[in-house]
Amino acid sequence: MFERENRARDLTVLGSFAAIVLTLPWWLTAIGGYEALATKIVIWAIFALGFDILLGFTSYLSFGHAAFFGFSAYVTGLMLKHVTAEIIPAMVVSFAGTLVIALIIGFLTLRRSGIYFAILTLAFAEMLHAAALSSMLQEWTGGDNGLTMDTNPVLFGIEMEGLNVFFFCALILIGGFFVARQIKRSSFGLMLRSIKENPMRLEYTGVNVQAYKMSAFLISAMYAGLAGSLMVIYEPYVATKFLHWSTSGEVVIMSVIGGVNTLIGPIIGATFLLYFENVVQAFIGEQWKLVLGAVFVLVVIFLPGGFVDGYRRIRKAFGAKVEPRRQNVPDKPQRASDAYDRKNTATQYVD
Amino acid sequence: MTVNSVFLELLTGLQLGAIYALIALGLTLIFGTLNVVNFAHGALYMIAAYVAVVLANQVGFIAAIFLVPIVLFGVGIALERGLIRFFYDRPHTDQILVTFGVALLVQECLKWIFGANNIPFPLPEWGNGVAFLHEYLPFLDGFVVFPKWRLILIAVSLITVLGLYSLLQFTRFGLVVRAGMRDPQMLRFMGINITQRFAIVFGLGALIAGVAGVFGGPITQVSPDVGMALLVPSFLVVVIGGMGSLTGALLAAIMLGMALSFTATIASLQQIIIYLVAVVVLLVRPRGLLGKKGVAE
Repeated sequence: MFERENRARDLTVLGSFAAIVLTLPWWLTAIGGYEALATKIVIWAIFALGFDILLGFTSYLSFGHAAFFGFSAYVTGLMLKHVTAEIIPAMVVSFAGTLVIALIIGFLTLRRSGIYFAILTLAFAEMLHAAALSSMLQEWTGGDNGLTMDTNPVLFGIEMEGLNVFFFCALILIGGFFVARQIKRSSFGLMLRSIKENPMRLEYTGVNVQAYKMSAFLISAMYAGLAGSLMVIYEPYVATKFLHWSTSGEVVIMSVIGGVNTLIGPIIGATFLLYFENVVQAFIGEQWKLVLGAVFVLVVIFLPGGFVDGYRRIRKAFGAKVEPRRQNVPDKPQRASDAYDRKNTATQYVD
Repeated sequence: MTVNSVFLELLTGLQLGAIYALIALGLTLIFGTLNVVNFAHGALYMIAAYVAVVLANQVGFIAAIFLVPIVLFGVGIALERGLIRFFYDRPHTDQILVTFGVALLVQECLKWIFGANNIPFPLPEWGNGVAFLHEYLPFLDGFVVFPKWRLILIAVSLITVLGLYSLLQFTRFGLVVRAGMRDPQMLRFMGINITQRFAIVFGLGALIAGVAGVFGGPITQVSPDVGMALLVPSFLVVVIGGMGSLTGALLAAIMLGMALSFTATIASLQQIIIYLVAVVVLLVRPRGLLGKKGVAE
């Protein structure tokens, strides 16, 4: 019976998620947005969702996810420009390429954790950025001007523009969300989340921690790569900014503002950030980035669980019974930070 | 390669390394003592450069040289007391995030006040022009010149490094700080107020960034993007040198400076050489050149 209840709940969650995403262009327009913004939101949501699999599950903070986003965008762009305007081959090739890059970067960076990892991923992404701008590759990447294409991408002969692109991206997001949820509740996902708790103990119990970290890294890189190639399909232009650290920074901000380790949080964060950038900007002008930075700092200081945690706190304040989101508590909190972790980390078992 | 070109490339390498060294020293000092990775360190450099431009225009360059590090020391203390200290107990990722947020805020504020473009930072009369090196160094062949300001930058960096070294090595304050880097808990048990001293260390790190900003500003550019652009190589310097090792950071800075300078003729290689060096070092010695076992592993 428990099983069935869970499945029903699952279907409701997925169904409402799909409904909200698929109607995005319309309700977004109603609150001041526009149709093309919906596509952009969906693409960034895919990026942020994948990022959460790394940051939220394993708590490895990567400052270099722009590498996968941008690399995939460039490969897609080059494929569309030089080989065929069909998007499927372009996506497949860029997907494979991103995997290879992620394997290399992962091999070099995952040997270290925490600070080292953040710095090293940042460095490798900057290296790709420098390489794309370098005189050697300029001929291919277009250097500072970015890569422009003259033909519109097509899917089986159908022009990919307007709502076509939106639905294509939205379906991928819904699929990605489903997969991420499955990962989260699988034993594999549980392993990833134990890396966050105590990698050493995990190692002692004979688990190949390195392999699990690498898988999480690869999966999140795949999401980033998908998002990167969708970005080029949505708008046939590759900006050098895609490889720049500010792109990595943006996805970090989205995830943290929305709430890491919740899957839905980063998606909300992506929506918020893009809405802010494109709609609210009209009211507060040039300084929107400043305001955004302030929001980000305030969230990090006062609401480390992001918007999702804020929502839970509000519900709690109004007397709703909020179920504790975690059952596997470590033996003793070593520091104040662990106490915070215990309160906020989501762990829902499915028996 | 002639003697002349090798010599000039060595000088250029030293000069490039000098800026990285100044920023990286502050980073590694703060990391070694406070165990905080300061993503806002590039922003401190930027504040220094902008304040230097303003002060140099208002009260003259000489005054700016002395005032900017003092201002930055204050900014550092304020940042540590006002924000960073609340993050000592939180996970490293939170520390990275909050300092990253501060870096963004500073960048956007500067963009707001001064505009997004590079603003000119005129050199003072006495620092302008070139030095005729062949007049002093007999082993050079013929006519060899080098910009004066870059020589001054090298000299100032040397003085700063020596100053920091003697402060840490020969004073009581330095003794406490070094002990605190080893075992902060023990020091607390002995009744020494390391909180206060560590706040000063953060200020010192900012002060060194201030020195870097005044003397490096005219060379690197003064724009809201320069902070992050310098932060990445400086991080690499810290990582290559070994987290928390001052000597290591110095070595790594010179190494990267030289690598950049000696690949100058091959432009496409120069743009990625520092990352390649980083990859090689980290593959051979994952802990960095002089990194200690057990530090941030």
